[in-house]
Order: sequence, then C-alpha cells, then structure tokens
Amino acid sequence: MISIKAISKWYGEFHVLKECSTTVSKGEVVVVCGPSGSGKSTLIKCVNGLEAFQQGEILIDGVSVGARGTNLSKLRSRVGMVFQHFELFPHLTVIQNLTIAQCKVLRRGNREATEKGQRLLDVVGLAAHAEKFPAQLSGGQQQRVAIARALAMDPIAMLFDEPTSALDPEMIKEVLDVMVKLAQEGMTMMVVTHEMGFAREVANRVIFMDQGQIVEDRPKADFFKSPDTDRAQQFLSKILSHGVQT
Amino acid sequence: MYQFDWSSIPGALPYLWQGMLRTLQITGVAVVVGIVLGTLIAVARLSKSSILSNLAALYVSGFRSVPLVMVLLWFYLLVPQIISSLFGQPGLDIRLLSAFVAFALFEASYYAEIIRAGIQSVSSGQVSAGLALGMTSGQTMRLIVLPQAFRRMIPLLLTQAIILFQDTSLVYVIGLAEFFGVAYNTGNRDGTLVELLLFAGIVYFVICFAASMIVRSLQKKLVS
Repeated sequence: MISIKAISKWYGEFHVLKECSTTVSKGEVVVVCGPSGSGKSTLIKCVNGLEAFQQGEILIDGVSVGARGTNLSKLRSRVGMVFQHFELFPHLTVIQNLTIAQCKVLRRGNREATEKGQRLLDVVGLAAHAEKFPAQLSGGQQQRVAIARALAMDPIAMLFDEPTSALDPEMIKEVLDVMVKLAQEGMTMMVVTHEMGFAREVANRVIFMDQGQIVEDRPKADFFKSPDTDRAQQFLSKILSHGVQT
Repeated sequence: MYQFDWSSIPGALPYLWQGMLRTLQITGVAVVVGIVLGTLIAVARLSKSSILSNLAALYVSGFRSVPLVMVLLWFYLLVPQIISSLFGQPGLDIRLLSAFVAFALFEASYYAEIIRAGIQSVSSGQVSAGLALGMTSGQTMRLIVLPQAFRRMIPLLLTQAIILFQDTSLVYVIGLAEFFGVAYNTGNRDGTLVELLLFAGIVYFVICFAASMIVRSLQKKLVS
C-alpha cells in the first residue's frame, strides 16, 4: 500500500532523513517512534507530499508521490492525515469541517456529505456537537473530529502525526480508543506516537528512528521483547519507566 | 472677536449632501476595488513564483512611495485618453473616472500589505490540513486561509477605509466637487469660508469618530 524506498531529505546542510525505507501493507498498523528530532514527523509528512524529499521514491497504491506528473491533490484526497495540533478549521462548524473537502474535492452533494459527516461524528461519539465551532470543544474532542474529517474522504490509508502529544493526559484515551477501533476494523495506518500502550495493543510493526535513520523496523513482539540496538533499548526503558503511557 | 456668519450653510445643505454622496461613492469604489485588487496582489506577493512576487512588491512599494495627490494628478492629466478609451462613454465625467481609478489603484497597494499580513497570520498547519484533504493550493487559500485572514483583518481594513474617506478630499485638485470641494467653493463664494470649513470639519469628525467607535467595538468582539 505504502512503500518508502531509500528516502533522503536535507534542510540546507542538515541531513534530516537518511535513506529511509519501509513498507506498510494493506490493513497493517505501523507505529513510528523515536526521540524528538529523529525525523519521524518529517518522514510521515513526506508520505503524502506535505514535505518534499530530494532522493528516493514513495509509492502509494502504485502512484509515485514525488514524480512530476503525479496529481498530488488527488493522491492526498485518498490518504487521511491527523495532525498533532488538530488543525480543524476554526471558521467552520464541526459538520462543515467534515463536509467542505467532500464537497469541494470529491464533488459530493451537500446532503450526501452531511449524512456521511453525521454518521462519522456518531462513530467518534460526537454526534451532538455537529453545529458547534471547534473552539467550543475540548482538545480530545477536536482530535476526534479531525479523525472523522479525514475518514469522511474514504481514505485508503491514514497517517497520524503525534495525534495525542498536544492533549491533556485525561483526553488521550478517548482519542486512542477511536484509533484502536479504526485499526481493528482493518484500516491501514502509519502512526507517529510515543504511546507504547497503543503500539502493544494494535501495531503489527514498530519502527524506531534516530537521527534521521530507521534504526529498527520489526514486528511488535520482537521490538518490545528485545530491541536490537542500544539506542532503542534506552529509548524504550526511558519511555516505559515514565509509566503513564502504558 | 471674529463674528461668525452661519447664514450661508442652510442654503448650501443640498449641495453639501450631493458632495457627501460623491465622497462616499469614491470611498466605496476605492474600498471594494482596492480590497479585491489588494487580495490578488497579496497572494501574488506570497506566491512561489519570483516573477509574480517581485512584480507585486514593485507595485506596492511604487504606489506607497509617491504622494496620493500626485497619483491623482497623473491619472487626471496624463492618462485620461487611456481611461476614456477603456471605459468609453462620452457622457462620463473624466474627473470622476480618474479619481475612481487613482484611488482604487493607490488603495490596493495599502490593502495588499494589510492582507498579506493577515494571510501570514494564519498558521501553516491550516494550509497543511487543507492540502492533506486533497484541496489544491488555490482552494486552500480561498476556502481556508482567506476567510480566517479577513476575519482578523476587518478592524484594519475599516480603519484604512476611514483614512481613505478623509483622503478623498484631495480630489479638489482635479476640480471634482465632493464634500470638501463643495464646502470650500460655497464658502469662497459667500465670503464665509471659515464657517463652512468648520462645519465640514465637524461633519468629517462626527462620521470618522463614529466609524472608529464601531471598529473598536468590533475589535473587542473579535478578540473575545
């Protein structure tokens, strides 16, 4: 579904991504973790072309992201993305947030889009909040709306860029619950997160990044039992001893 | 002690009213065209194409570096032929037309800077969110960025309109009878210039003061 082949990226002199390669198959859930500044967010933004890369190739469902002839907008409309800071549109109501791209990008009728939006709000448990503005919702609620907004486009895969890092601890669970449900329904997901509890529960594979490199890319069980590298081990022990996430 | 003679004002009121309508007409055209054109210039200025952004920068700094009176005179003296061949009706007052064009183009350069700042105040995450949903960059600008930018800019845009409303008095240099011009001419004719200019000043003050109170209350509403 998503295949990343030897991606390299520089910001000026700074080498952000160094020959990163991995694949995400259909229905697979891959968690990307690593210390801050390791390039994991940059990597996931390269997948739908929000960040450009200088070398390598990314294929989504056979379509090359970086190639000249690619219709990036069309490709992005098929890949959902959820951001750290939600990025709901503050000038639109919740339901308008869910319908605007359906109408303007997929050319769905307003009625069809609204029905779809309402159904998805129901799925994320926010059906009663359709007419509110994003600022009237809590962080956790906003992030659930953002997930519903991405799902409204019927994506073939979902990208999550630290979806819970900006949330208060008591709201993390409500967002993770939605993500777990999504994973169990067979959605193809690539998730940048520190939530190792989430990784344990639904991930098929865990990727560990450090200094722009993919250091480990292994099945979940292997990764948690015995990371190959010291760096991953240290990272894991730090994050697990912190305790909140598990 | 100076003896005020207010007697010529009542008779002049209908003409002053006509003048005020003209003032509002010029202000209205310049605000609307200025904002539309200013938006295009601001978007061009922020575009990735260096040709577009340089042209826009040249336009903005060009108009902002010359006095408004001069722009008005240029458009009146140098280019009436161009204007009349463009808009072409013989019955149309060339002075009014050149005032419309001059004010609109001049104001566009000021609006462009306000709007550019407004666009830049919208976080890049909003752009990413629009793009990630499959919108083109044009759609993202139109549907996501500009509505938020304009909401924040409303007080500034209105303040600029108030300044413009006062600046329209400059059209007296091309002999156009807007509010200030009518007051001046009437006072000159009747030998009551001081009274009429005082009266005109009070009218300007009342209108602009009321308008800026509205802006202030809007500002408070937008902040909360």
